[in-house]
Amino acid sequence: MRADHLSSGAMLRVDGLRKAFGEKTVLDGLSFEVASGEVVSLLGANGSGKSTSLRCVVGLERPDGGTITVDGVSARPGETTGARSSGELARPLAPSEGVTARSAEAVPTVAMVFQKIHLVPRRSVLDNVCAGALGRLSLSRSWSVLAFPREVQAEAMACLDRVGLADRAREKAGRLSGGQQQRVAVARALCQRAQVLLADEPVSALDPAASEQVMNLLRSLADDDGLAVAAVLHQPDLARRFSDRILGLAGGRLVFDSSSEVTDQAVADLYRPALEALEAAEAAEAAVAGSTAPKESTDSATKEFA
Amino acid sequence: MTGLTTAPRPRLDIPPRYRPAGIATGAVVAIALILVHWYAAVQTNTSPKELLEGWRGLWNFLFGVDRTYPNGKTIHQDGAFPLDLRWSETIRPGLEYCLLTIWIGLLGTTLSIPAALFFAVISSRTTNRFVPLWFLGRGVMSVLRAVPETVYALMFIAAVGFGAFPGVIALAIHNVAVMGKLWSEAMDEVDQGPVEALRVAGASPVQSAAHAVLPAVMPSLLGLLLYRFDTNVRSSVILGTVGAGGIGFFIKTEVDSFHFDTMMTYVCMVIVLIIVIDLFSAWLRKKVGTV
Ligand SMILES: Nc1ncnc2c1ncn2[C@@H]1O[C@H](COP(=O)(O)OP(=O)(O)OP(=O)(O)O)[C@@H](O)[C@H]1O
Ligand SMILES: [Mg+2]
Repeated sequence: MRADHLSSGAMLRVDGLRKAFGEKTVLDGLSFEVASGEVVSLLGANGSGKSTSLRCVVGLERPDGGTITVDGVSARPGETTGARSSGELARPLAPSEGVTARSAEAVPTVAMVFQKIHLVPRRSVLDNVCAGALGRLSLSRSWSVLAFPREVQAEAMACLDRVGLADRAREKAGRLSGGQQQRVAVARALCQRAQVLLADEPVSALDPAASEQVMNLLRSLADDDGLAVAAVLHQPDLARRFSDRILGLAGGRLVFDSSSEVTDQAVADLYRPALEALEAAEAAEAAVAGSTAPKESTDSATKEFA
Repeated sequence: MTGLTTAPRPRLDIPPRYRPAGIATGAVVAIALILVHWYAAVQTNTSPKELLEGWRGLWNFLFGVDRTYPNGKTIHQDGAFPLDLRWSETIRPGLEYCLLTIWIGLLGTTLSIPAALFFAVISSRTTNRFVPLWFLGRGVMSVLRAVPETVYALMFIAAVGFGAFPGVIALAIHNVAVMGKLWSEAMDEVDQGPVEALRVAGASPVQSAAHAVLPAVMPSLLGLLLYRFDTNVRSSVILGTVGAGGIGFFIKTEVDSFHFDTMMTYVCMVIVLIIVIDLFSAWLRKKVGTV
């Protein structure tokens, strides 16, 4: 399924990623790799750090430690990997590569799609897709949708065609169904010329038919366009059917990395600590409620929030 | 089957709604409030006696009074009613002054848009993550807002003389600060999702302001703009009374020359003007899609 696209090295390499929010360690030395043409699923209980790891990779969160490498270029922590910032990266070039320099436009970028999709509902589908190109547009060519150059709009149309929605280009994004909006978000990622596509629960808000369509799209982006795709999923069966490998996360660490034929037991174990933790928390809460005034427990809860 | 309904439940004490400490705090706050108000009433001569004496003056102002002077002459001082309804001397000029008031409010609002947008963008967390600039924006707006429009108007009148222009400038400056704050708060509340999505695509803060924040908040901004137009027309009436043109200026002139009936005609026109502007702005806001 993927052998023809696999190059020698991984497209995305995450090594020893660590991240804590205050006292709470969320990522505890997470390492994984995704190759071009490969779809990797991330499974894990709520709070196991799946979203945080993806957000660290795209630069929405600044990791406390570890390295992130995209096509051999190490990402600067806490900076988005859009074309502009990576253009300044000092890229360690292997002598065998025969490439001396890379124009900013060709630097690989990482794109992300979200469970809540995050299009601008009032803007047209086409304008939303064009926004994927912002990283390589100067302000004079992007201060308004009216300033977008024709070639960017043409490229956006091609991206829309890729996800099968070219005929909806002039409609307002908010008018489309959830599944169509998620495909528009994928088109925006393509317009970013991404070579790594991260998807955080891309189908959690979609009905089974739309989920199927979006997962098929991700699969085909890997197979036919050679993208490296990593998707957080909460549906083990979708993960089995559409991905080459399944990574299991628990407590901010990788607990398994296997081919799609991961056992039911391994998947069930993934969610067990969460169940146990829930029971433990309930027991502790009952104990606290019995011994101290309720006011103190709310105080400590608000402190945790702050 | 009966077992379901007769399962024994433990009896629990109902926690008290008020605690003694809470009641004591409430009492202290209430007494403090009463004392503060009593002191304020003493300082401002607010008393039932003053109210009664003021009442007679108000009656004379409204309906006129015959004043007898020491030389034995009695002069009738006209009151505010009946209104002065002469067309060419009072009403037609009054309508022109009302229009001038609207133009002052309109220009004062419109001229402030670019600067208000600038300050809103640098003072919102969504569009500006560079903290020193954020503080600067908030600080400048706080200072500008702390000075009332009337004080600006007095300053500009001192600089350029009486007229509508100092009123426009005074409103515009004050409105930059007020509308900038309202707009930046609207931007703060925008959904962060699309902003983050564009950041991932490599968009700069200015680009994500233009392509994620502004499209999302545009209806709110327009609604706030109309609301400020409404308020600024009111303010421009007040600015007139200190010399900055419009109907307010003539209310002041007529009251200074004891033409209470003419003045009251202008006051009635102001009431109609404000209500019309209010209805118009509410209607337009509904059209725009914000309430
Ligand atoms: N900005 C933040 N500030 C504080 N804590 C955070 C923040 N973001 C995430 N966390 C915490 O980090 C932990 C991991 O969150 P994360 O969103 O990565 O989990 P997840 O695996 O994506 O879970 P889910 O399946 O619910 O999406 C959670 O306990 C969460 O409360
Ligand atoms: Mg998540």
